[in-house]
Amino acid sequence: MLKRLLFTLVCLAVLCNSAWAQKTIVFATDATWPPMEFVNDKKEVVGYAIDFITAAAKEAGFTPVFKNTAWDGIFAGLAANKYDAVVSSVTITDDRKKAMDFTEPYFSVRQALIVNKNSDAQSLADLKGKKAGAQIGTTGYFAIKAVEGVEAKSYDEIGLAMEDLNVGRIAAVVCDDPVAANYALVQYKDNLKIAAVMQTGDVENYGVAVKKGSKELIDLLNKGISAVKAKGLDLELKKKWIGQ
Amino acid sequence: MSDQETTKIEIGDGAAIPSPEDRGLVSAWWIALLGTVSLLIILPLVKPDPYLRILKFVPDGILVTFKVTVFSILLAIVIGLLTGLGRISKNRLINMAASLYVEVVRGIPLLVQLFYIYFALGRIVRVPDIVAAIVAMAFCYGAYMGEVFRAGIKSIDFGQTEASLSLGFNQRQTMAYVILPQAWRTILPPVGNEFIALLKDTSLVSILAVSDILRRGREFAAESFNYFETYTMIALIYLLITLVLSKLISIMEHRLSHYERR
Repeated sequence: MLKRLLFTLVCLAVLCNSAWAQKTIVFATDATWPPMEFVNDKKEVVGYAIDFITAAAKEAGFTPVFKNTAWDGIFAGLAANKYDAVVSSVTITDDRKKAMDFTEPYFSVRQALIVNKNSDAQSLADLKGKKAGAQIGTTGYFAIKAVEGVEAKSYDEIGLAMEDLNVGRIAAVVCDDPVAANYALVQYKDNLKIAAVMQTGDVENYGVAVKKGSKELIDLLNKGISAVKAKGLDLELKKKWIGQ
Repeated sequence: MSDQETTKIEIGDGAAIPSPEDRGLVSAWWIALLGTVSLLIILPLVKPDPYLRILKFVPDGILVTFKVTVFSILLAIVIGLLTGLGRISKNRLINMAASLYVEVVRGIPLLVQLFYIYFALGRIVRVPDIVAAIVAMAFCYGAYMGEVFRAGIKSIDFGQTEASLSLGFNQRQTMAYVILPQAWRTILPPVGNEFIALLKDTSLVSILAVSDILRRGREFAAESFNYFETYTMIALIYLLITLVLSKLISIMEHRLSHYERR
């Protein structure tokens, strides 16, 4: 009797999973990038990107699960099927497109230059012979490397770079402008300032990265992303997390 | 002298030191060395992209790793000698201070110490990152080194001290001219062992954005997405360095053991 009951339950569970329950998609996110994605004081992963994907999931009909993953190696984990997608403020670049596929953009940023309050540097070119920091493998880091004569230092987390800038070990930090605003205008507002929002590069677009060739997944995600944009939900989220 | 047993201090976190008696060509050490060297040569030849590019990208990291290792070990030996002497000192205050230092340092993980010293030091004085890393490594390893020194000094028979004192040497002279020169024989091999352990542990400073071998490798991997290939090369480079060093230490150990009867 018990066996039969158990069997029925197992059958039910399997059926539920395949037929009725929604598809679960696991997203990796490096939650050290406020206000896009970060860990709040309740130890939950929150932020603009998290809310955006959750809204998109509601539209497209899947269940999102967010997995806090270190940035360095986040793409290696995607290639190794540790999760289905990466939503971690990943700028869509040509180099990255060679290694993985991207959804439609869900956010646009520029690179911002953060310096100490008493510094008069206006651009990276003013920092010749000095050190500038950024998170490893980010477009901010590539921007520093592209400037001749500036020593690029790579950090595991953007917060460590900000602390080094705060104590004066490096002369500047380059990162996405919403993150820059969060650090320079809130956390270190007495010491740091945004010197410039870089005009050199074009506007950068964040996309959700998936393993190359995951056509079905991209279609599903794109459906959700466009639905959120069409409804104007992204504007509400911008107001909530970024303020303007 | 010749009948005195040499004490061996075994410390388990270094590389395996090949036995000095092992002179054959077919030993674990030779196989490991040949394998490492041939992989380091063959891989870049067969697949220049990315292996050769990785080898071209990391050399300045190797230099930084060596710099951190050498300066940390020198500083750690000085701290260790002072700590070791402090631990056997009859002055209660000095003894207490040295013991406290050892207790505190050995109770905190190296990674935590690195973060702590790096950021705490940064708040007080502005030093370059590499200096902060060296100070942190030396501060940690000084405590371990202190234990090595203490054990080495203790291994010298007390009769030596008595004889020296009865010949009219004072305490300091006894230590400097009689005990320490003999203790070196016991101390040097584990110091060499600690040197290799420290070299491996310097990979931790990459977390402080010091551009050592590992950090350079990670930068390369993050840009090219060649994670597997990069870490293969990084592992081989570390292995080559530690294999050569462990052989050197083995030779040194052999030279130092000339008092032992065989």
